[in-house]
Amino acid sequence: MQEGFIDYQKVLENEEHAIKSTQSVIQKAIDWFRSKSMFVLAYGTGCGAIEMPPTFTSRYDIERIGVVGMATPRQADILIVSGYCSYKTLKRVIRSYEQMNEPKYVIALGSCTINGGMYWDSYNTIKRLEDYIPVDMFVNGCMPRPEAIIEGFVKLQSNIKNAKKEAGYIKYRKDNEFYKNNQKKIFGDKIEPSYEANFAGMNQ
Amino acid sequence: MISSLKKYYEIEKKRDTLFKTHIEKEELLKTIDFITINSNFMTLSQIACADWIEDEVFTLNYILTTDRRDKNLMIEVNIPRVDSKLPTLLNIFPQSEVMERDLHEMYGIDFIGNSTLYDFVLEDWKEIPPLRREFDTLEYVNKHFNFRIGREDNRDVKVEIKRRRAEAKRLKNANK
Repeated sequence: MQEGFIDYQKVLENEEHAIKSTQSVIQKAIDWFRSKSMFVLAYGTGCGAIEMPPTFTSRYDIERIGVVGMATPRQADILIVSGYCSYKTLKRVIRSYEQMNEPKYVIALGSCTINGGMYWDSYNTIKRLEDYIPVDMFVNGCMPRPEAIIEGFVKLQSNIKNAKKEAGYIKYRKDNEFYKNNQKKIFGDKIEPSYEANFAGMNQ
Repeated sequence: MISSLKKYYEIEKKRDTLFKTHIEKEELLKTIDFITINSNFMTLSQIACADWIEDEVFTLNYILTTDRRDKNLMIEVNIPRVDSKLPTLLNIFPQSEVMERDLHEMYGIDFIGNSTLYDFVLEDWKEIPPLRREFDTLEYVNKHFNFRIGREDNRDVKVEIKRRRAEAKRLKNANK
């Protein structure tokens, strides 16, 4: 096999990726279909967004495993938070996430979303993304290569197929108070982007 | 070009391409107006600010550039850190709007006459401006964020690698 390419067939034949769900046949089928059509919101938050074009275009071509880019949050299933996330971005991320239809999943790229990375002492960048929105798959690295991103997608597919882990959107509903409290800690009561504030000085 | 300006201001040569002069803050508008009209330094490329907390001043450098972009002139102004105010340059250079807005957000300097001094990059910021040196970044971070467990032991990586290798070797020998 040529260097730099994932042998996707081998990954599929791996026992770990066989369907082991204990749910009914119909649910199994639904999960299988779901794992094969992942629509990703085309939205990049940090420097990691630079790894997305090669992932989605002909060099790595992630569309062969059913991952397609989508223009708006309401059409998308997957939100990729690619890299560091400032307060201002996080507000938009939360808003986009809440607009997405269920089932929805979050993939976090890069060490910045895991522990702050090189922005660990920055006043303006969050340190742990999963405090604010539930994360289904972390891909570490600074930045992760497209191969790593593809592996993250394949792992997420097997998680969806086997219903192994509780999906993030269910957690977001159940522990909504926990997430909202964490969001309030840094934003105050204005969680949504407050467009009035931006124009407050205009009238003077 | 520089020699003609030297009649009016004390200009110090930093490099072949960089010159510097210091003026009082009351003369700022007059000086910049004079220089842009009477010399080739025709446009403002940036406004830089340094916080000298020991001397209780902000030092602002207005950097003017020639039309060929080959020479720069720094005009240095000191203003007090408390109640810091300066007139805006909007009437001379429209591009100063964004630079002044940025300085207002990061240092809290008021530019009189600039009406766009509201939220820019930081939204709903309630603390003191973050680039002032009395702002303790680490304290702010510790107060507002939870860190992931595992960073605090701060072990030397080389020691850890040695330990793991010795462990692997021991296991290998035991299997034999």
